[in-house]
Amino acid sequence: MEEITSFLTGYPPFDQLPPQAVTRAARGMQIEYFTAGQTILEFGGAPAKFLYIVRKGGVDLLRETGSEIEIFDTLGPGEAFGYPSLIRDQAPAVTVRAHTETLAYMLPSELFHRLREENPAFHRFFAAVAFDRLGFALKVRQDRADPALFQTRLGDLVRRSLMVISPDATVREAAQLMSKEGISCLLVDLPPIGILDHNTGIITDRDLRNRVLAAGLPADTLVREVMTAPALSLSTESLAFEGLLLMLERGIHHLPISEQGVVVGMVTNTDILRRQSRSPVFLPRQVDRATGLDELRNYTDQVAMTVSGLLDAGARIADIGRVVAVAHDALHRRLLRDIEMEIGPPPVPYAWVVLGSEGRLEQTLRTDQDNALIYADDAPPEAAAYFRKLAHMMVEQLVACGFPRCPGDVMATNPQWCQPLASWQAMFRRWIDVPEEEALLRSSIFFDYRQLYGDLDAEAGLRPVIARSQGNTIFLARLARAALRATPPLTFFRSVALDDERIDLKTRGTAMVVDLARLFALEAGRTETGTLSRLQASWPTASVSQAAAEGLADAFELLSLLRLRHQQQQIARGEEPTNLVVFPQLSPLERRELKESLQIIARIQRSVAMTYQTGRLG
Amino acid sequence: MVFLRNWDLFRKRERPAVLQAYEAGPWPDPRSHWRDASYVVLDVETSGLDPRRDVLLAIGLVGIEGGRIRLDTCWRTLVRPPEGFLVDASSIRIHNLTRAEVAEAPTFDAVLPSLIDHLARRILVVHVSQVDVGFLNRALRTNYGGRLAGPIIDTARLAMRLHDRAQILGEIAHEQPAPAIQLRALATSMGLPVFGEHDALNDALTTAQLFLAQAARLDPKGNLSIKSLLRSGGV
Repeated sequence: MEEITSFLTGYPPFDQLPPQAVTRAARGMQIEYFTAGQTILEFGGAPAKFLYIVRKGGVDLLRETGSEIEIFDTLGPGEAFGYPSLIRDQAPAVTVRAHTETLAYMLPSELFHRLREENPAFHRFFAAVAFDRLGFALKVRQDRADPALFQTRLGDLVRRSLMVISPDATVREAAQLMSKEGISCLLVDLPPIGILDHNTGIITDRDLRNRVLAAGLPADTLVREVMTAPALSLSTESLAFEGLLLMLERGIHHLPISEQGVVVGMVTNTDILRRQSRSPVFLPRQVDRATGLDELRNYTDQVAMTVSGLLDAGARIADIGRVVAVAHDALHRRLLRDIEMEIGPPPVPYAWVVLGSEGRLEQTLRTDQDNALIYADDAPPEAAAYFRKLAHMMVEQLVACGFPRCPGDVMATNPQWCQPLASWQAMFRRWIDVPEEEALLRSSIFFDYRQLYGDLDAEAGLRPVIARSQGNTIFLARLARAALRATPPLTFFRSVALDDERIDLKTRGTAMVVDLARLFALEAGRTETGTLSRLQASWPTASVSQAAAEGLADAFELLSLLRLRHQQQQIARGEEPTNLVVFPQLSPLERRELKESLQIIARIQRSVAMTYQTGRLG
Repeated sequence: MVFLRNWDLFRKRERPAVLQAYEAGPWPDPRSHWRDASYVVLDVETSGLDPRRDVLLAIGLVGIEGGRIRLDTCWRTLVRPPEGFLVDASSIRIHNLTRAEVAEAPTFDAVLPSLIDHLARRILVVHVSQVDVGFLNRALRTNYGGRLAGPIIDTARLAMRLHDRAQILGEIAHEQPAPAIQLRALATSMGLPVFGEHDALNDALTTAQLFLAQAARLDPKGNLSIKSLLRSGGV
């Protein structure tokens, strides 16, 4: 029996079961041998009576689409099948056929159900609905995340008693209260005290220094004149990491914490940082303190190390994206400010925008430059030359800091991508109205923009133009067709199981979700650019169900994590990071997550093809 | 001494009821499909290879129902050697059995009802049947004057049969030697997992998997009857 138990414990979810449960499963197991081509379960046939686990050989999962029979998955040793039918006691939704001589372990249904009842991990792994399985897989990962960063709630960190001052008090009184209580921040509020509303603000010792003393204001200045209101705040239920990120993004150090609209305390960045050693907070600070470019040369390496640390700690992909954005944004601002100091202030306001993955807050360990420059329309003739110079210096310096040039020349140094706002508006409009190949490609990069620096409000000028795509059925249909061009590499799992096939986790992985999310967001008229926020925001109005949107989001998270971890290992081995993974080298769990993610993408691609009738387009 | 001999004779004349019921069968209908029959796959551990001189030390078996090995029917027992029989040190090494273990084991007499219960109405499957069947028959004869009834399939014989067939069909070269007859080597050559330590139950399990693989290969059309299976590997 050891033969069977030791085999089972090599694969999920049996590796999660206590030893006595594995032994019990092994003792109750049945074993069957199938010849090549033999049908094990039949679509629409009798419900499965067992959980099947491939011991030797392999089986094909077949689905009938119209008149065609398609192999959509091939399972190898350690992989299980039959459970959706077994759980629901319904006819199998797919046909399972041995593609080679196959020895299968079969767990009878009573034992299977008992194991499911007694072991949550086993239950989650064998959820009948594919969407649930992915969601559970993610939850298991998050449960293993670093408790300090990803499981501590802000409510757990509130220690200080909250001191409140009236906005009509003087700054001297505020300073006296702070020094008497030994604190660095006061809540400013009018009755009802502590209820979070528009006149709830804060005042910090930094405000007293920067906004009062440095500005030469007298000691009897009223608090309301220098306070920050309404104050940003998070709930006691928010994660500590969420609080840290918000403080980083806004450059603040104090955060009022509320419970059901009532302020219960104050948390500072040091309250959070005390709990962990490696912190992303030091990156922006380092940028500010650097005396020159030389000190920022290995900046991208340091960002990569931070990402690596967050990955190990179990951070979610969206959080990692935000941390990288905070770090990159700080660098961009510093560099642009320095350039402006050197060549003089801009003749008109402008916006420095990043595009593609940086625009979506989805940068990974290494990011090429993708940027553009937009300047105000009322520019004098010499403005073009100024911005050309600024762009060249900026791109050079980014290269020096570790951001390689864009191979497709999507950079502000390209005159096409350094233009006044009106030209950008005209370009965006043309792309939507005449959605040819090139236009679709451009829109997929440029519509995902994000402004990092500059006084021009690019959003106000460009977003209304992009919003025109909502309701433009021709544009959306073309965009849908382009989004369906790459398909999940499912049929090749059969060969993958046998040799060392590689799979590109970007072009045939995350990028497919990015394209679908963009389509849904434009269809729903949403302004979000991040893939996960797009999915979350679009489903109420777009042609995608909530379950499908959440399934796609989970698939994106899992594929991104897989890709990041893969790149992390490549960097650790001193290799250039790539998106290619060798399927047989993945762990059994990773293989399953990859397959299930791709199957969900394939499913949603099929329904998009139906909705948009992409097959009928000329 | 005299008393013992008389008792022995008495036992030989009046075979136990379980044994009589066992002999009555019924055995699986030879015309039915091989998957529809019940099988019991058996392996024994002995003190040596000569049934006349050596004795049975352990029995392991597992059932096959509906073409599936039922691990919940696994059964293994040690058997106490006759009084005064000294188990040879070399066989102890092979089986990892200690003298103390077998000395405390139930007698063949005590084991008989369970053993017969497992064998009843089932086709017996063994690897190299001469040894296992020889020892069981010897034990049944000396104790009760009985012997194994019902059909027996030998997986070693099936292996030879499959080899010959493959040669006739030209699937393998004519000069290719016959496969090794050793259980573990044979299982491995068919890509099958081998069950752990060399003991009666593990070997019965390995034999059971081997049998399923062989039967599946003999049955590409899904119409192999018990009769044809016995023609290929029956004893």
